[in-house]
Amino acid sequence: MSVRVPMGMVALGAFSLFGCATNHDKYAWGSYDPALYAYYKSPAKVTALAQTLQDTISESDAKNVPVAPGLRAEYGYLLLQQGNSAQAVVYFQAEERQWPESKVFMDRMIQVASSGQRTPKAKEP
Amino acid sequence: MQPFSSPHLWALCAAVLLAGCASAPPRPNYSLFRADNPRSILVVPVVNRSVDVNAPDYFLATITRPLAERGYYVFPVNMVRSVLSDDGLSDANLVHSGDPRRLGELFGCDAIMYISIERWDARYVVLSTTVTVELTYRLKSARSGQELWTNHQTVVYQPRGGGAGIAGLVADAVAAAITKAAPNYIPLARQANAGAIDLKHTGLPAGPHDGMYLKDNDEY
Repeated sequence: MSVRVPMGMVALGAFSLFGCATNHDKYAWGSYDPALYAYYKSPAKVTALAQTLQDTISESDAKNVPVAPGLRAEYGYLLLQQGNSAQAVVYFQAEERQWPESKVFMDRMIQVASSGQRTPKAKEP
Repeated sequence: MQPFSSPHLWALCAAVLLAGCASAPPRPNYSLFRADNPRSILVVPVVNRSVDVNAPDYFLATITRPLAERGYYVFPVNMVRSVLSDDGLSDANLVHSGDPRRLGELFGCDAIMYISIERWDARYVVLSTTVTVELTYRLKSARSGQELWTNHQTVVYQPRGGGAGIAGLVADAVAAAITKAAPNYIPLARQANAGAIDLKHTGLPAGPHDGMYLKDNDEY
Protein backbone atom coordinates (compact mmCIF):
# COMPACT_ATOMS: atom_id res chain seq x y z
CA MET A 1 0.00 0.00 0.00
CA SER A 2 1.48 3.29 -1.01
CA VAL A 3 1.50 6.40 1.13
CA ARG A 4 -0.42 9.23 -0.41
CA VAL A 5 0.75 12.73 0.36
CA PRO A 6 -1.84 15.27 -0.75
CA MET A 7 -0.69 17.53 -3.55
CA GLY A 8 -1.91 20.48 -1.54
CA MET A 9 0.69 19.72 1.06
CA VAL A 10 3.46 19.74 -1.51
CA ALA A 11 2.22 23.10 -2.72
CA LEU A 12 2.08 24.41 0.81
CA GLY A 13 5.60 23.14 1.44
CA ALA A 14 6.88 25.05 -1.55
CA PHE A 15 4.91 28.07 -0.44
CA SER A 16 6.31 28.00 3.07
CA LEU A 17 9.89 27.86 1.80
CA PHE A 18 9.84 31.39 0.46
CA GLY A 19 6.37 32.43 -0.68
CA CYS A 20 3.74 34.59 0.97
CA ALA A 21 2.55 38.17 0.99
CA THR A 22 3.33 38.78 -2.64
CA ASN A 23 0.09 40.66 -3.23
CA HIS A 24 1.23 43.86 -1.52
CA ASP A 25 4.72 43.97 -2.95
CA LYS A 26 6.00 47.26 -4.29
CA TYR A 27 8.60 45.65 -6.51
CA ALA A 28 9.29 42.75 -8.83
CA TRP A 29 11.53 40.24 -7.08
CA GLY A 30 11.22 37.24 -9.36
CA SER A 31 12.91 34.33 -7.61
CA TYR A 32 15.73 36.43 -6.23
CA ASP A 33 15.54 35.20 -2.61
CA PRO A 34 15.24 31.46 -3.33
CA ALA A 35 17.88 31.67 -6.09
CA LEU A 36 20.29 33.44 -3.73
CA TYR A 37 19.57 30.86 -1.05
CA ALA A 38 20.19 28.04 -3.54
CA TYR A 39 23.45 29.70 -4.59
CA TYR A 40 24.66 29.91 -0.99
CA LYS A 41 23.70 26.27 -0.54
CA SER A 42 25.54 25.25 -3.69
CA PRO A 43 27.87 27.82 -5.32
CA ALA A 44 27.61 25.97 -8.66
CA LYS A 45 24.13 27.51 -8.95
CA VAL A 46 25.61 30.92 -9.73
CA THR A 47 24.45 30.51 -13.34
CA ALA A 48 20.88 29.93 -12.19
CA LEU A 49 21.09 33.02 -9.98
CA ALA A 50 22.33 35.12 -12.89
CA GLN A 51 19.58 33.77 -15.13
CA THR A 52 16.91 34.52 -12.51
CA LEU A 53 18.16 38.10 -12.18
CA GLN A 54 18.32 38.62 -15.92
CA ASP A 55 14.79 37.24 -16.42
CA THR A 56 13.33 39.30 -13.58
CA ILE A 57 14.93 42.49 -14.88
CA SER A 58 13.89 42.03 -18.52
CA GLU A 59 10.35 40.86 -17.69
CA SER A 60 9.77 43.74 -15.27
CA ASP A 61 11.18 46.31 -17.67
CA ALA A 62 8.92 44.95 -20.43
CA LYS A 63 5.90 45.28 -18.14
CA ASN A 64 7.03 48.59 -16.65
CA VAL A 65 7.08 47.15 -13.13
CA PRO A 66 9.78 48.56 -10.84
CA VAL A 67 12.61 46.10 -10.28
CA ALA A 68 13.47 45.64 -6.61
CA PRO A 69 16.41 47.60 -5.19
CA GLY A 70 19.77 45.96 -5.68
CA LEU A 71 18.79 43.43 -8.35
CA ARG A 72 20.38 45.27 -11.29
CA ALA A 73 23.55 45.76 -9.26
CA GLU A 74 23.63 42.09 -8.20
CA TYR A 75 23.35 41.06 -11.83
CA GLY A 76 26.02 43.52 -12.92
CA TYR A 77 28.34 42.19 -10.25
CA LEU A 78 27.90 38.59 -11.44
CA LEU A 79 28.76 39.80 -14.97
CA LEU A 80 31.83 41.56 -13.61
CA GLN A 81 32.94 38.38 -11.87
CA GLN A 82 32.62 36.56 -15.20
CA GLY A 83 34.88 39.18 -16.75
CA ASN A 84 32.14 41.00 -18.68
CA SER A 85 33.08 44.50 -17.50
CA ALA A 86 31.32 46.42 -20.27
CA GLN A 87 27.90 44.87 -19.54
CA ALA A 88 28.53 45.14 -15.78
CA VAL A 89 28.90 48.91 -16.15
CA VAL A 90 25.57 49.08 -18.00
CA TYR A 91 23.78 47.42 -15.07
CA PHE A 92 25.58 49.50 -12.43
CA GLN A 93 24.49 52.63 -14.30
CA ALA A 94 20.93 51.33 -14.51
CA GLU A 95 20.87 50.64 -10.76
CA GLU A 96 22.05 54.18 -10.12
CA ARG A 97 19.41 55.66 -12.44
CA GLN A 98 16.60 53.77 -10.75
CA TRP A 99 18.00 54.21 -7.21
CA PRO A 100 19.99 57.43 -6.71
CA GLU A 101 20.70 56.21 -3.15
CA SER A 102 23.20 53.78 -4.68
CA LYS A 103 25.27 56.52 -6.40
CA VAL A 104 28.42 56.44 -4.26
CA PHE A 105 28.70 52.65 -4.38
CA MET A 106 27.77 52.31 -8.06
CA ASP A 107 30.18 55.08 -9.14
CA ARG A 108 32.95 53.28 -7.31
CA MET A 109 32.07 49.97 -8.95
CA ILE A 110 31.77 51.57 -12.40
CA GLN A 111 35.29 52.89 -11.89
CA VAL A 112 36.48 49.43 -10.85
CA ALA A 113 34.84 47.77 -13.87
CA SER A 114 36.05 50.43 -16.31
CA SER A 115 39.64 50.02 -15.17
CA GLY A 116 39.48 46.32 -15.98
CA GLN A 117 39.54 45.16 -12.35
CA ARG A 118 37.05 42.68 -11.01
CA THR A 119 37.12 43.86 -7.42
CA PRO A 120 37.81 47.17 -5.69
CA LYS A 121 41.43 47.63 -4.66
CA ALA A 122 40.70 49.78 -1.63
CA LYS A 123 42.20 48.46 1.61
CA GLU A 124 40.85 48.82 5.19
CA PRO A 125 38.88 50.18 7.02
CA MET B 1 -5.87 -0.09 5.21
CA GLN B 2 -5.95 3.61 5.64
CA PRO B 3 -2.96 5.64 4.46
CA PHE B 4 -1.86 8.71 6.41
CA SER B 5 -4.89 10.80 7.11
CA SER B 6 -4.25 14.16 5.58
CA PRO B 7 -5.61 16.30 8.49
CA HIS B 8 -2.48 15.45 10.46
CA LEU B 9 -0.26 16.48 7.60
CA TRP B 10 -2.16 19.70 7.23
CA ALA B 11 -1.89 20.33 10.95
CA LEU B 12 1.84 19.77 10.65
CA CYS B 13 2.12 22.29 7.84
CA ALA B 14 0.04 24.80 9.72
CA ALA B 15 2.27 24.41 12.76
CA VAL B 16 5.29 25.29 10.63
CA LEU B 17 3.62 28.48 9.52
CA LEU B 18 2.14 29.55 12.82
CA ALA B 19 4.61 28.63 15.51
CA GLY B 20 6.07 32.07 16.03
CA CYS B 21 6.23 33.95 19.26
CA ALA B 22 6.98 37.62 19.56
CA SER B 23 7.29 39.05 23.02
CA ALA B 24 6.11 42.62 23.45
CA PRO B 25 9.07 44.77 24.47
CA PRO B 26 8.55 48.29 25.82
CA ARG B 27 7.81 50.85 23.15
CA PRO B 28 11.11 52.15 21.84
CA ASN B 29 12.09 55.78 21.47
CA TYR B 30 12.23 56.84 17.85
CA SER B 31 13.58 60.37 18.32
CA LEU B 32 17.11 59.51 17.15
CA PHE B 33 15.70 57.57 14.22
CA ARG B 34 13.44 60.45 13.20
CA ALA B 35 16.22 63.01 13.52
CA ASP B 36 18.55 60.89 11.39
CA ASN B 37 15.83 59.99 8.86
CA PRO B 38 17.71 57.24 6.96
CA ARG B 39 16.71 56.52 3.34
CA SER B 40 19.02 53.63 2.59
CA ILE B 41 20.22 50.58 4.50
CA LEU B 42 23.43 48.60 4.08
CA VAL B 43 23.10 45.07 5.47
CA VAL B 44 26.56 43.88 6.43
CA PRO B 45 27.56 40.22 6.89
CA VAL B 46 25.75 38.60 9.79
CA VAL B 47 27.52 37.62 13.01
CA ASN B 48 26.98 33.97 13.83
CA ARG B 49 26.61 32.81 17.42
CA SER B 50 24.78 29.64 16.37
CA VAL B 51 26.29 26.22 15.73
CA ASP B 52 25.38 26.24 12.01
CA VAL B 53 28.21 27.68 9.91
CA ASN B 54 25.90 28.24 6.94
CA ALA B 55 23.30 30.23 8.84
CA PRO B 56 24.65 33.75 8.05
CA ASP B 57 24.56 33.25 4.28
CA TYR B 58 21.20 31.50 4.29
CA PHE B 59 19.79 34.28 6.43
CA LEU B 60 21.16 36.93 4.09
CA ALA B 61 18.81 35.63 1.39
CA THR B 62 15.79 36.57 3.52
CA ILE B 63 16.54 40.10 4.70
CA THR B 64 16.49 42.35 1.62
CA ARG B 65 12.86 41.92 0.75
CA PRO B 66 11.16 42.97 4.02
CA LEU B 67 13.45 46.02 4.37
CA ALA B 68 12.92 47.13 0.77
CA GLU B 69 9.17 46.56 0.90
CA ARG B 70 9.12 48.72 4.04
CA GLY B 71 10.30 51.56 1.79
CA TYR B 72 14.08 51.67 2.08
CA TYR B 73 16.77 51.34 -0.53
CA VAL B 74 18.65 48.18 0.40
CA PHE B 75 22.15 47.73 -0.97
CA PRO B 76 22.67 44.49 -2.95
CA VAL B 77 23.52 42.05 -0.15
CA ASN B 78 25.49 39.51 -2.14
CA MET B 79 27.55 42.15 -3.94
CA VAL B 80 28.25 43.96 -0.66
CA ARG B 81 29.32 40.68 0.94
CA SER B 82 31.76 39.96 -1.92
CA VAL B 83 33.15 43.50 -2.06
CA LEU B 84 33.74 43.54 1.70
CA SER B 85 35.38 40.15 1.45
CA ASP B 86 37.68 41.40 -1.33
CA ASP B 87 38.56 44.33 0.93
CA GLY B 88 39.66 41.86 3.61
CA LEU B 89 36.42 42.21 5.55
CA SER B 90 34.90 38.75 5.30
CA ASP B 91 34.91 38.45 9.10
CA ALA B 92 31.50 39.66 10.25
CA ASN B 93 32.75 40.28 13.80
CA LEU B 94 35.38 42.65 12.43
CA VAL B 95 32.81 44.51 10.34
CA HIS B 96 30.43 44.80 13.30
CA SER B 97 33.12 46.19 15.57
CA GLY B 98 34.25 48.73 12.97
CA ASP B 99 33.13 52.35 12.65
CA PRO B 100 29.74 52.68 10.88
CA ARG B 101 30.85 56.05 9.48
CA ARG B 102 33.68 54.40 7.55
CA LEU B 103 31.16 52.07 5.86
CA GLY B 104 29.04 55.13 5.19
CA GLU B 105 31.94 56.70 3.27
CA LEU B 106 32.62 53.52 1.28
CA PHE B 107 29.04 52.77 0.28
CA GLY B 108 27.22 56.08 0.61
CA CYS B 109 24.57 54.46 2.79
CA ASP B 110 22.53 56.36 5.40
CA ALA B 111 22.29 53.49 7.87
CA ILE B 112 23.81 50.10 8.52
CA MET B 113 21.95 47.01 9.69
CA TYR B 114 23.96 44.79 12.01
CA ILE B 115 22.34 41.42 12.60
CA SER B 116 23.48 38.63 14.90
CA ILE B 117 22.19 35.09 14.77
CA GLU B 118 21.89 33.92 18.38
CA ARG B 119 20.28 30.56 17.61
CA TRP B 120 19.64 28.54 14.43
CA ASP B 121 19.23 24.95 15.51
CA ALA B 122 17.04 21.88 15.68
CA ARG B 123 16.84 19.79 18.82
CA TYR B 124 15.57 16.26 18.68
CA VAL B 125 13.99 14.52 21.64
CA VAL B 126 12.65 11.06 20.85
CA LEU B 127 10.01 11.75 18.21
CA SER B 128 9.63 15.47 18.64
CA THR B 129 11.75 18.23 17.19
CA THR B 130 12.12 21.86 18.14
CA VAL B 131 13.57 24.26 15.59
CA THR B 132 14.66 27.67 16.84
CA VAL B 133 15.79 30.85 15.14
CA GLU B 134 16.84 33.76 17.36
CA LEU B 135 18.11 37.06 15.98
CA THR B 136 19.26 40.48 17.17
CA TYR B 137 18.91 43.49 14.85
CA ARG B 138 20.73 46.82 15.28
CA LEU B 139 20.41 49.75 12.91
CA LYS B 140 23.15 52.37 13.23
CA SER B 141 23.51 55.75 11.58
CA ALA B 142 26.29 55.94 8.99
CA ARG B 143 26.54 59.67 9.71
CA SER B 144 26.77 59.73 13.51
CA GLY B 145 27.49 56.09 14.28
CA GLN B 146 24.65 56.13 16.83
CA GLU B 147 22.20 53.28 17.24
CA LEU B 148 18.85 54.26 15.72
CA TRP B 149 16.79 51.12 16.33
CA THR B 150 17.14 47.65 17.76
CA ASN B 151 14.99 44.53 17.94
CA HIS B 152 15.21 40.95 19.12
CA GLN B 153 13.21 38.01 17.79
CA THR B 154 12.87 34.36 18.74
CA VAL B 155 10.81 32.06 16.54
CA VAL B 156 10.25 28.45 17.55
CA TYR B 157 8.75 25.68 15.48
CA GLN B 158 7.49 22.70 17.40
CA PRO B 159 5.23 20.21 15.66
CA ARG B 160 2.09 19.75 17.70
CA GLY B 161 1.80 16.10 18.71
CA GLY B 162 -1.53 14.48 17.91
CA GLY B 163 -1.40 13.24 21.46
CA ALA B 164 -3.94 10.48 21.18
CA GLY B 165 -3.68 7.41 19.03
CA ILE B 166 -1.30 5.94 16.55
CA ALA B 167 -2.10 8.45 13.81
CA GLY B 168 -0.66 11.35 15.80
CA LEU B 169 2.43 9.34 16.61
CA VAL B 170 2.95 8.48 12.97
CA ALA B 171 2.49 12.11 11.92
CA ASP B 172 5.08 13.16 14.51
CA ALA B 173 7.50 10.54 13.22
CA VAL B 174 7.07 11.92 9.72
CA ALA B 175 7.58 15.45 11.01
CA ALA B 176 10.78 14.47 12.79
CA ALA B 177 12.09 12.70 9.70
CA ILE B 178 11.35 15.65 7.43
CA THR B 179 12.95 18.07 9.83
CA LYS B 180 15.94 15.89 10.52
CA ALA B 181 16.69 15.32 6.85
CA ALA B 182 16.65 19.01 6.03
CA PRO B 183 15.56 21.41 8.73
CA ASN B 184 14.11 24.38 6.93
CA TYR B 185 14.94 27.53 8.84
CA ILE B 186 13.88 29.93 6.12
CA PRO B 187 10.19 30.29 7.09
CA LEU B 188 11.31 30.96 10.67
CA ALA B 189 13.84 33.56 9.55
CA ARG B 190 11.20 35.24 7.43
CA GLN B 191 8.82 35.33 10.33
CA ALA B 192 11.50 36.78 12.61
CA ASN B 193 12.19 39.51 10.03
CA ALA B 194 8.52 40.35 9.75
CA GLY B 195 8.21 40.45 13.54
CA ALA B 196 11.18 42.78 13.78
CA ILE B 197 10.50 45.09 10.84
CA ASP B 198 6.74 45.19 10.25
CA LEU B 199 5.18 45.32 13.70
CA LYS B 200 3.59 48.62 14.69
CA HIS B 201 5.19 50.46 17.65
CA THR B 202 8.38 48.36 17.62
CA GLY B 203 9.31 47.89 13.93
CA LEU B 204 10.88 50.23 11.42
CA PRO B 205 8.92 53.35 10.48
CA ALA B 206 7.89 53.49 6.82
CA GLY B 207 10.80 54.39 4.54
CA PRO B 208 10.91 57.03 1.78
CA HIS B 209 9.54 54.69 -0.89
CA ASP B 210 6.43 53.91 1.15
CA GLY B 211 3.23 55.96 1.06
CA MET B 212 3.24 56.25 4.87
CA TYR B 213 6.69 57.86 4.95
CA LEU B 214 6.75 60.54 7.69
CA LYS B 215 3.02 60.05 8.20
CA ASP B 216 3.32 57.38 10.89
CA ASN B 217 4.55 59.49 13.80
CA ASP B 218 1.71 58.25 16.01
CA GLU B 219 2.86 54.69 15.64
CA TYR B 220 6.62 55.11 15.86
